[in-house]
Amino acid sequence: MVRYTPVTLEEALRIRAEQDVVPYAGGTDLMVENRKGVTYLFLNRVSELQQISEDDTYVRIGSGVTFTQALKSPLVPDLMKEAVSHIAAPAIRNAGTFGGNLGNGSAKADSVLIEYVTDAKLRIASAAKERTVDVDAFYKGRKQLDLESDELIAEILIPKEGLDDYYYQKIGGRNALAISRVSFAGILNKEDGKIKRIAAAFGAVADTVLRYKEIEKMLIGKTAAEAGELKEAFIQKYADTMVLTRGRVSAEYRKSVCCNLLRDFLDQMI
Amino acid sequence: MEKISQSVVKKDHSPKMGGRSVYVADYNTAKNGDGILTGKILHSKVARARIRGVEVPTLPDGYYYVDAKDIPGDNNVNIVLDDMPVYCRDTVEYIGEAIGMVVGPDSKKVDRILSEIKVNYEELEPVLDLRTAKEAFFNYEYGHGDMDKAFAEADHVYEEEFETGYQEQTYLETQGMMAEPEEGGSMYVHGSMQCIYYVHGAVKRVLNCEPEGVHIFQDVTGGGFGGKEAFPSILATEVAVAAKKANAPVRCVFDRREDMEYTSKRHPSICRIRAAVKDGKVTALDCDVTFNAGAYSTLSAVVLQRGIIAAPGVYNVPNIHVTGRALKTNTSPCGAYRGFGAPQTFFAIEMMMDHIAQDLGVESLAFKEAHLAKQNDPTSTCGKYHFPVPVQDMINEVDKVCDYRKKKAEYSKPQTGRYRRGIGMSMIFHGAGFTGSGERDIIKAVTRLHKYADGRVEILASNGEIGQGVRTTFCKIVANELNLPLEKVFYDHPDTARVPDSGPTVASRSLMTVGELLRRASIKLREIWKDGEEQEVEERYRQPDFMIPFSLEKFEGDAYPTYAWAVNAIEVEVDTLTGVTKVLGAYGNFDVGTPMDYNIVMGQMEGGFLQGIGYSSIEKMDYDDKGRIRNNSFSDYLIPTTKDVPNMQCMLHVEKFPDGPYGAKGAGELPLVGVPGAYLEAVEQALGGCKKHKLNHVPFTAEDTLKELMKEAE
Ligand SMILES: Cc1cc2nc3c(=O)[nH]c(=O)nc-3n(C[C@H](O)[C@H](O)[C@H](O)COP(=O)(O)OP(=O)(O)OC[C@H]3O[C@@H](n4cnc5c(N)ncnc54)[C@H](O)[C@@H]3O)c2cc1C
Repeated sequence: MVRYTPVTLEEALRIRAEQDVVPYAGGTDLMVENRKGVTYLFLNRVSELQQISEDDTYVRIGSGVTFTQALKSPLVPDLMKEAVSHIAAPAIRNAGTFGGNLGNGSAKADSVLIEYVTDAKLRIASAAKERTVDVDAFYKGRKQLDLESDELIAEILIPKEGLDDYYYQKIGGRNALAISRVSFAGILNKEDGKIKRIAAAFGAVADTVLRYKEIEKMLIGKTAAEAGELKEAFIQKYADTMVLTRGRVSAEYRKSVCCNLLRDFLDQMI
Repeated sequence: MEKISQSVVKKDHSPKMGGRSVYVADYNTAKNGDGILTGKILHSKVARARIRGVEVPTLPDGYYYVDAKDIPGDNNVNIVLDDMPVYCRDTVEYIGEAIGMVVGPDSKKVDRILSEIKVNYEELEPVLDLRTAKEAFFNYEYGHGDMDKAFAEADHVYEEEFETGYQEQTYLETQGMMAEPEEGGSMYVHGSMQCIYYVHGAVKRVLNCEPEGVHIFQDVTGGGFGGKEAFPSILATEVAVAAKKANAPVRCVFDRREDMEYTSKRHPSICRIRAAVKDGKVTALDCDVTFNAGAYSTLSAVVLQRGIIAAPGVYNVPNIHVTGRALKTNTSPCGAYRGFGAPQTFFAIEMMMDHIAQDLGVESLAFKEAHLAKQNDPTSTCGKYHFPVPVQDMINEVDKVCDYRKKKAEYSKPQTGRYRRGIGMSMIFHGAGFTGSGERDIIKAVTRLHKYADGRVEILASNGEIGQGVRTTFCKIVANELNLPLEKVFYDHPDTARVPDSGPTVASRSLMTVGELLRRASIKLREIWKDGEEQEVEERYRQPDFMIPFSLEKFEGDAYPTYAWAVNAIEVEVDTLTGVTKVLGAYGNFDVGTPMDYNIVMGQMEGGFLQGIGYSSIEKMDYDDKGRIRNNSFSDYLIPTTKDVPNMQCMLHVEKFPDGPYGAKGAGELPLVGVPGAYLEAVEQALGGCKKHKLNHVPFTAEDTLKELMKEAE
């Protein structure tokens, strides 16, 4: 069986360009899938992908960073840490990576929800070029990613500013080893008594994580009193817009939980 | 703590922890060195159909298709009524029913052949709804007192219906069985099972041979919980017929999906209770119990018996009438699961008592306490509680640990806000051993002790280690009585060729019933002990003299010699935004008599308690309008983990049973039985009590909770 175990990103990208390979990070999704007849490109020795760093604007999380590693890092924002701390159980968190969570393409991926709500960007690399893409543009649909066959996810760029005022809730079928059935993350920043930024993202309820920037605009620039007035209309707008799928729980259940959490988020943060 | 209760290292600890235990899937070759053929079952894809034909592709050399035509004996699996076929007759009755088996050396090829087989079904209308099902496999009725008078004189009459769902045993090791033809024509069958002699009886009938023509060995078994009581008899007959045809060793190991979808589960139930109340006391209970048996009767008779005996709960109510039916539907046959019919009926009566109390405006625990049966009171079947009933003391002990009465009062005040709390308590018994006169009339347990010249003593019995610790506790009893070090006494996995029939590993009976036989056998051996000689003693079951004989026809008498008791309290916090219920505390007080090993018993109590919480809350399994179970994997059927109940406190209250070894009673099933009543009472209180939200089914999921809350909003 052919398998590739590069130690540099350059080497990994070259193999990716030349061969038909499946990138393999922690393997926590791939082991379960147990695909037949594929060739793996193992990324676990590529230390360039395993760094957490920061620049003026972003916290930069390498795609090969594991959840356990992130939980220990002083650079990773609390909101991300909270979401990651609810993933599976220690064994999976020790192996599972940010890149794999994205690469799996699921709307239930807990770190991806945070990337949506924080307007994170992804650095995508290939041997030929590099590009940066907004996380919501990266997801084109259920299990459909904006990723070419010669590309790898290299880094996740999370904007540093304004992440302290957040709200997060995951609902799984139980308290450990549970995939999200509904997840919600919200951010609300105020400046001079007015809402400067609001973001609300819903995970595990549709084909991709859902976020509606158009609806969010309703509350931007509003005072607490004004926002309070608009609150019910705002929630109703979400209820009307969101088309949810059923899974292990019904679509109705998902919708009521989404609206309940959205309301609670507004009640607490406005 | 008594010496016998002090924990030791389990006899199977080291091989299991070291990965050296050999499960049926682990064998590389048969006993004689031959390669093992893989057998895979051709399962019915429809819930009910006449089979017009099965088109099997031309098979390569060494591959076989096996079906009912290959059965040397008759096509019935010996369980209770023997109505279940080994391979289907001219109809299939549920999705998953075995039509045939493909056997061959390469499992991938076997899969391919299986996928190429065309079954020609003439589909028939299946019966799927328990409420409209008509065919009753079993129909029981019993009662005493004057029902008409009690209802005529009642101040209040209450009527309510309670429903429970499936529960899947989720043992770690799936069902697996292997059959090896031996020289001389006998058949050797071994695998994952609880009851070697049940399997023996079944295989013997199907192969149409003498008892010596087949022998059964229990391999290391990765959990049973009841799921390996009857199903192994079915799988064993299937592989035995295949091995006979191929004249080669055949093994069939289920994958998880097959196991979850097609093997036996806990019976879903509907219980309707009518209660008459006069002067604040329940004077009559009329209980109508319906169990979904599935397509064949398998164990439903005995499951239903245990269920209806428990229908009036732990209460002494003067007038009782109980009916019970196990109805046929075109679904997987249901079977044994820890508690054996009693969790369903105890749930109903516990909720009923709580609801009546709430309606009368009295505290539910006090109401229950006022009805508790006491020593010498009659049982539901006009037997007698011969021994002290410790429930009141056990309630007080639980109250002390979790401040139950105070919290109950506090949480009954109106609650607002996102998180709301509730607490509930249930009290139950578990009749120890087989129901009725089964031990005396059917099982007739026999055990032997074999002493080797070097002074080691081997236990010869048929009870299987399934994680519950019998390989250890049996040895402790014998070692204690013979005053030997534990290493000198051993109990290997049983083979019917070597051990007498001490009965099946079921009904929480092994330790109490067989353990006592071993204790008495040890005394015999002690009395004749001669150093350096090989010696053997035998002991047979005797029914205790005090028992009022049980008549199954009249459903009257002592259904059990004694009872193990449990009182559970569960405290919850409901998140009104998500419907998610958090268990703040789970407190269990269990009377299993003298624990034969403290750690083993506590392991059983904690595990069973958690299983009960799963049954009450998240373990939801159902079939669709075609009769298909869709949640057939561990990502679709979730069971709780320790993180779901971090605060669990179990304690033991010891009320010794004079006829059990050193006072021991049954332990295995007890901790699960009462959980749903306590859990749902707690959730209901958190939601504001039964006048606001009358809850009456389990599992009660987050989605159910949110639905209730939305009713409020409307
Ligand atoms: C028991 C269990 C529980 C789980 N619980 C959760 C949970 O609670 N929350 C949650 O979000 N997830 C959960 N998961 C899913 C899984 O652990 C996560 O999705 C994890 O992040 C996957 O990371 P990995 O490194 O193991 O990915 P892998 O399995 O290695 O890869 C996953 C996918 O990503 C692709 N990929 C990996 N790296 C790259 C890259 N650099 N560039 C491009 N493509 C790439 C792979 O080709 C593959 O398609 C659970 C999984 C299991 C088995």
